[in-house]
Amino acid sequence: MATARERLAKATRFYQIIWALCLIGMFIPLISPLGLPVVVSEPVKAYYNSIVDLPEGSVIGVSFGASAALLDEQEAQFLATWKTIFEQHHKVIFYCSTEDASIVINNELEVVVPESYGYTYGVDYVILPYSPLGEAGQAAFAQSIRSIYSTDINGDSLDEIPLIKDIDNAEGIDLLIYEYTSCTDIEWAVRQWVVPYNKPVIATTLGCCGPMAAPYYPTQIQGFLSGSGAGTELEVISGNPGPGAAMSDAKNLGILPFLAAIIWMNVKPFIGKEE
Amino acid sequence: MAMFRREIPTAVLSFIGVVILLAFFTTLDIFETIKGVFTSWLPVISATSVGLGLIYMVYAQYMNYQRNKNLNNLIYLVVPLIFFVVFFGTALVVPGNISSDAYQFLYFHIYQNVGGTIYAVMFFTLASSAIRTMRLATKDPSGAIQFRLEAAALMFGGIIYTLRQIPLFQVYLPGITGFGEWIMLVPNVGGGRAAVMAAALGAIVVGIRTLWGKEKTTTEVD
Repeated sequence: MATARERLAKATRFYQIIWALCLIGMFIPLISPLGLPVVVSEPVKAYYNSIVDLPEGSVIGVSFGASAALLDEQEAQFLATWKTIFEQHHKVIFYCSTEDASIVINNELEVVVPESYGYTYGVDYVILPYSPLGEAGQAAFAQSIRSIYSTDINGDSLDEIPLIKDIDNAEGIDLLIYEYTSCTDIEWAVRQWVVPYNKPVIATTLGCCGPMAAPYYPTQIQGFLSGSGAGTELEVISGNPGPGAAMSDAKNLGILPFLAAIIWMNVKPFIGKEE
Repeated sequence: MAMFRREIPTAVLSFIGVVILLAFFTTLDIFETIKGVFTSWLPVISATSVGLGLIYMVYAQYMNYQRNKNLNNLIYLVVPLIFFVVFFGTALVVPGNISSDAYQFLYFHIYQNVGGTIYAVMFFTLASSAIRTMRLATKDPSGAIQFRLEAAALMFGGIIYTLRQIPLFQVYLPGITGFGEWIMLVPNVGGGRAAVMAAALGAIVVGIRTLWGKEKTTTEVD
C-alpha cells in the first residue's frame, strides 16, 4: 500500500505528463497550422449584428475594462470589434474602467488605426481616461458623463470636443459595448444601463465568464463574446482576420491530452488500477 | 468609540441606501440628483482606497518581515516596492508620462508578460483540478465503485461545451456545435437564472438588514 506522499508524487507525475502533452499539442499547430474552419455561434452572430444593424453614424459607448495580462485571451475580440465598428462608420466613446485600459486602448488603436478608416479624433471617436468606476461609477456615467470625466485622455475639456460636447448621459449613446474581466460584472451593465435606460448592450469577456453572461442573453444582453474562440468567430463573421485564428488552431490538439486524462481517470477504477 | 466604529457608519449607510432607493421608486428629481452626486463620489473613494491599499500592503509585508526575518519575506517586501518606484517614477518623471517609450516598454515587456504568465500558469492547476472534478467513478473504502451524479453532470456539460469550442471537433464531430450551444443556452441559462434570482433574494435580505443597521459585516470584520 503506497503512502500518502508516494500517492501524491505519483499523481503529480501524472499531471505533469498531461501538462507537457498539452503544451506539445498546442505548439504543433503553431508550427504547422491546421487551418480548420470555425463555426460562428449564435451569441457572436447577435453581437456582430448589433453593431452592423445600427444606422451609420450611431454613437457607441465602449466601457473598456481590459487587463493587459488577459490580452492573449481577448485581443482577437478587441481588434475584430474595432474593425467592425470603424467599417460601419459609427462614432465611438471609449471610457476606461481599469488601470490597464487606457494604455491597452491606445496600443490597440495603433494596430487598428481609426484614421485609416477616415476617422478624426474628437469628431468620430474619443477616449476618456481611467476612472475606478465600479458599479456606482457605471451608474454615475450613465446618468452624467461629466460627473465622472471633465476631460478626455489628452486633458482637453469634454465641452470642447465635438463628438461629446452635446452628450452627457445614456440618452446620447445608441449601443453600449461592455468589456469586463470579472465574471459577475456583467450584472453592472444590466442593472445600470439596461434596466433604468433600456439601452441595448453587448458584452465582451473571458472564456470562463461566458456561462455567466448567457443567462442575460438575448433579452438584456443582445450578444456576447467570451474568450479567444469568440474572438476568432467574430474575425470570421466580420471578415477581418486577426490573431484569433492561430489561437483556435493551437487549441485543436492542446485539448486532446486533457480529454484523454479525463477518460483515463474514469476508466481506471474499472481495470483495478489504484486511485 | 463604538459609536464611531459602528453607529455612525451604519447611519451613513442607511441614509445613502434610503436616498438611492427613493431615486429608483419615486419620480422626484431631488432624489435623482442626490443619487447622481453619491454615485459620482465613488471614483474618488475608490481612488483613495487604492492608495490606502498600497499603504496597508506595505505595512503588512513589513510586519511580516519583522515577525520572521528571512530572505523570502524580505523579497516579498522589497520587490513590490522596487517595481512601484520604477513604474511610478517612470510615469512621473520621464517626459510623456505613461505614453513615453520607457513606460510603454516597462508595461508591455514586463508587466504584461508577468501578468500573462500568471494567468497561463493557472492553466496547469485548472486542468488538473478539472480532471479530478470530472472523475465520476471512484472506489469507496470497501473497494466498491461509486458514481457521483454532480461529477457526471459537470463532465457531460463541460466536455460537450468544450468540444463545441474546438474547431477540430466542429469539423469531425457533426452536431457538436448545436449540442454545445444548447448546453450553454438552455440548461446553463436555467441554472444560471435560478442562481441569479436566489442571489437577488439574498441581496434584498442583506440590503434590508443593512438599512436597518443589523448587518454588522458591512461595518465590521470579525
